[in-house]
Parts: sequence; C-alpha cells; structure tokens
Amino acid sequence: MSWHAETALLEAYVESTLERAAAFSIEAHLIGCASCREQIAVIADRERLARVWSDVQERVDTPRRGFVETTLTYLGAPDHVARLLAATPSLTLSWLAGVAVSLAFAVAAAHAGGDGLVLFLALAPLLPLAGVAAAFGPGVDPTYEIGLASSMRSFELLLIRATAVLLSTTAVSALAATALPQLGWRTAAWLVPALGLTLVSLALATYVPPLRAFGAVALCWIAAVLLLAAAADDGFAAFRVPAQVGFVLGAFVGAFVVARRREMFETERGA
Amino acid sequence: MTSTTVEVRGVQKRFGRTNALAGPSFDAAPGITGLLGPNGAGKTTLLRLLATVLAPDAGRLRLLGRDPSDTGDRLEIRRRLGYMPQEPGFHRNFTAFEFVDYVAILKEMTDRRARHDEVRRVLELVDLGDVMHRRIKTLSGGMRRRVALAQSLLAGPELLVLDEPTAGLDPELRLRFRELLSELAQRRTVVLSTHQTEDVAALCQKVVVMDKGVTVFDGTPRELIELARGRVWLADDRAGDARLSWRTGEGRHRHIGVAPAGAELVEPTLEDSYLLLLGKLPAGERAA
Repeated sequence: MSWHAETALLEAYVESTLERAAAFSIEAHLIGCASCREQIAVIADRERLARVWSDVQERVDTPRRGFVETTLTYLGAPDHVARLLAATPSLTLSWLAGVAVSLAFAVAAAHAGGDGLVLFLALAPLLPLAGVAAAFGPGVDPTYEIGLASSMRSFELLLIRATAVLLSTTAVSALAATALPQLGWRTAAWLVPALGLTLVSLALATYVPPLRAFGAVALCWIAAVLLLAAAADDGFAAFRVPAQVGFVLGAFVGAFVVARRREMFETERGA
Repeated sequence: MTSTTVEVRGVQKRFGRTNALAGPSFDAAPGITGLLGPNGAGKTTLLRLLATVLAPDAGRLRLLGRDPSDTGDRLEIRRRLGYMPQEPGFHRNFTAFEFVDYVAILKEMTDRRARHDEVRRVLELVDLGDVMHRRIKTLSGGMRRRVALAQSLLAGPELLVLDEPTAGLDPELRLRFRELLSELAQRRTVVLSTHQTEDVAALCQKVVVMDKGVTVFDGTPRELIELARGRVWLADDRAGDARLSWRTGEGRHRHIGVAPAGAELVEPTLEDSYLLLLGKLPAGERAA
C-alpha cells in the first residue's frame, strides 16, 4: 500500500461526517491497509462499534420465528412471551390437531344420535385439562428442572401457559360446538366444567405431583358424568344448573387454593 | 481469606423410603469443588438442593450468603446461579440459539437485543458459534452437553452447579471442558459432580467424597491422595488374600492395603485413596 489515510480523514470516517463517496473510498482502502486499520482501531469509539456489530448480528444472525411464535407475535404477544409459549408441549400444531380430531369424532358421534352429544360435553372439558397438564411440570416439560433453577417464577410461567392453553383449546372446542346438531344451551354446557376442573386440578397439584392431580380429576369427572346420569336417569345431569353451580364454586375454591399455595410450584415435589 | 459461597450442614432428603441424603456437610468457596462418589451416593440430590430445585427435609443450607428456604432469598440466589442438570432436557425442535434464548427468558432477560447478544456470547464461549442455528436434535451428544453448559453460563452466574459435566465426552472434549471450567472458576464458585477421579485431580481445589448420602472426606485433592500414602504397592504376583488388586498395563500387580511379599511401595493416586475411602478394604486397613 503506497499511501495512508490522514488521521483527520479517518476521524471524520469514524464520526460518520464524511460524504458518501469519500466514505466508500476510505472503506475500500481500509480493507487492504493494515496500518490504517490499526490507526482507526485506536480512534474508534469501541462502544459504538460494539453497538453497530450487535445491530449487524441481530439483523443477519437471528433465526426466523416458527409458526407458533410468528402467530403469537402477530396477535400482539411480546417476543419473550411468544418464545415461552412456543416451548409449551400442548401449544404445538400437532397437539392442537389432536384436539381438533378428538372433537371431530365427538361431533360425529353427536350427529349419530343417542348419547353422542353427552360424549362431546364430557370430552370437551377434558381437553383443556389435558392441555394444562401437558404444559408445565416434571415429566412433560423437558426444561422443567432448568426452569425451576431460573429466576422467573414457575407459577408465572404456569399461569402464562395455562391461560394460552385454555384459550386455544376453548377456541377449538367452541368452533367444534357450532357443528353440533342442536345449537342450544347444551352446546356451551362444557365451558364452566372445563374451567372448574382445570382450577381444581391446579389446586390439587399443589399437594400431589401435577400429573397425578390431573389424572385423578379426569377420572373423577368421567365417573361423575356416568354416575349422575345413572342416578338421575338423565345423560345431561352433570351439565344442568345444580352441577354448573358446583363447578363455579369449584373454580373459585380452586383459584383460592392455587393463589394461597402458589409457592408449592417453585420447587420440585416429584413427578 | 476466601469467602464461603456454599454452606451445607447436615442436610437430609428422603424420597419415599429411600434416604438420599443422610446429613452431609461441607463448604465451598470460589474455585472448583468436586463431588466424588459412586452411583447412589447422593451427589445429584445434593446438587439439586444447591440448584434450589429441591428443598431439604432437614439441615442447614446457605447459598451466596442466603437461605434458599426463604422465598425472597431463593429468588436472589436463582438470579446469581447457573445450573446444568445431569440429563438436561431440550426442546429438540429448537435450534441451539433458540433453546439458550428460551432459558435466557426464564432468567428474566426480556430485552431482546441484550438477550440475543448474551446468547451469542455464551454459545461462542463453548465453541458453538458455528452451529448455533442448527436444530438440537441434529447435534452430537458432546455438542448438546455444551449447549447445556452454555445455558448455565447466561448472565455470568456467581455460583455454577454442574452435574457430571464431563460424562460421555471424548478425551479431547473433556480436556476442552476442563480448560473452560478452570477459566470460569477464576471468578466464581463451581460445584460439580463426577465419577472421574482424573477430573478431580486435574480441576478441583477441593474435593468432597460422598457415600450412602453422607460426606466421607472433605479436603484438597492432595490431602485425599495422602490418605493412601504407605498403602499402595506394586508386586509381580497377585496376593492371594488381596481385596483390591489388579494387573497394570505393564504386567505388574497394583495392591491397595497390606503389602504382599516382595512388593514395592509406590506413590498413591487420587483413585487409590478414593477406593480406600469407599471401604473396599477390610476395616483394619481403612484410612482413618
């Protein structure tokens, strides 16, 4: 290299005050001139360089978001919440597809007559329950242990995921309900049981390992639907007003217990 | 004077009928402390207590000067803690970058730009800069362990708890891990568990040997080696009543314990002392 840039010129380049043609010229020169690169390294603002490099990396080197994250961000979720939800086992496309297929079978059964509609109503509350069970905890979340040792409160993560799962599963179930043969009060009779069962399960999960709690509540629900139907000689007994009132109460009690015992989610108590 | 970062006093933990920890006690200060012990000794349970994942049933535990049973203290500890579990789980469809980014969010790093810079920093620190955008399910076992180590380094923790960080690594990668861990330990407290006595000899300023849920040794690797001094022999033949004797690569027999006829006293290794401590020899020959 036969010539070197003057210090004043390099300083102007560093401060971005050179006109474009001169800046391009200096830039081309710097690529081939180690001496000028050394000189500019001394006068460059290192913090600014670090910021610029960070900008470049952010634009070039940040991976594209997946479908779930893109959708959530589009719906207004902050990017970190979208990432937390994208890691939720029961918010994957395959899980939601499984929910849709289960409901499709239940809707088909309802169209076939008999106790088909009861089958739909019994199944619909179990889906959000299963979704919340699969959203958080030992045995279902591969990063559960790392998450526990992290500073974000596990209860907060549980709430974020449970809310997202409840909303998504309820939306799919509500959509399926519109395809039922009779569009009366019965098509929405699963909503309150779904909320009540989920909250009671979460409350129970503060006493016993989460999967055991969700499994026990699911079995109790199925038993209750069958026993009430047999006792009252009415397939819809578990969905009529007295039972709905019971589920509202259950939801309140569950929410109260979860709020009181939320610290139990902050350390592991077994799978 | 070194400050104590980890203080364990008689902690106990039961899982059903199994008594996983029966009251081990030790301290750890900045530098590397190695937990050595056979399977079932309670190392992993103890590390999970140090990582605040589990709470002890009894005993006293203080981490970074705080009490992990207190909600506020536990949060503060977690903010200054890095943890690599023995079998870290991954969201296998995530890339290495996405996974570490996810853990960074769990560590309350909500500013996207700063978080991404930190994710790149830790991935480059473990030499994964070139593969950070590959899906975890396509990475080798050694690379996955490095991803697990990278997440534990997020936000520059003061206390690093690593469960068998070198397990399953080939010799070259194990050396790279040792190099990295010794660098990290210059500024922080590292508590790691291992089956490898070579790791302890190469890395640790302090070693704690555990067996059946209790501490059976707490000191420096040099002090541990000294326990076997005068008890390790080389002989041409295997002693008939030897409880621990094996043929070395050079064709001679190494004995720990009473000297066989014509045996030559040799320098003990950390492994010799470890075997002595674990009671592989008759009680009369065991180290005090």
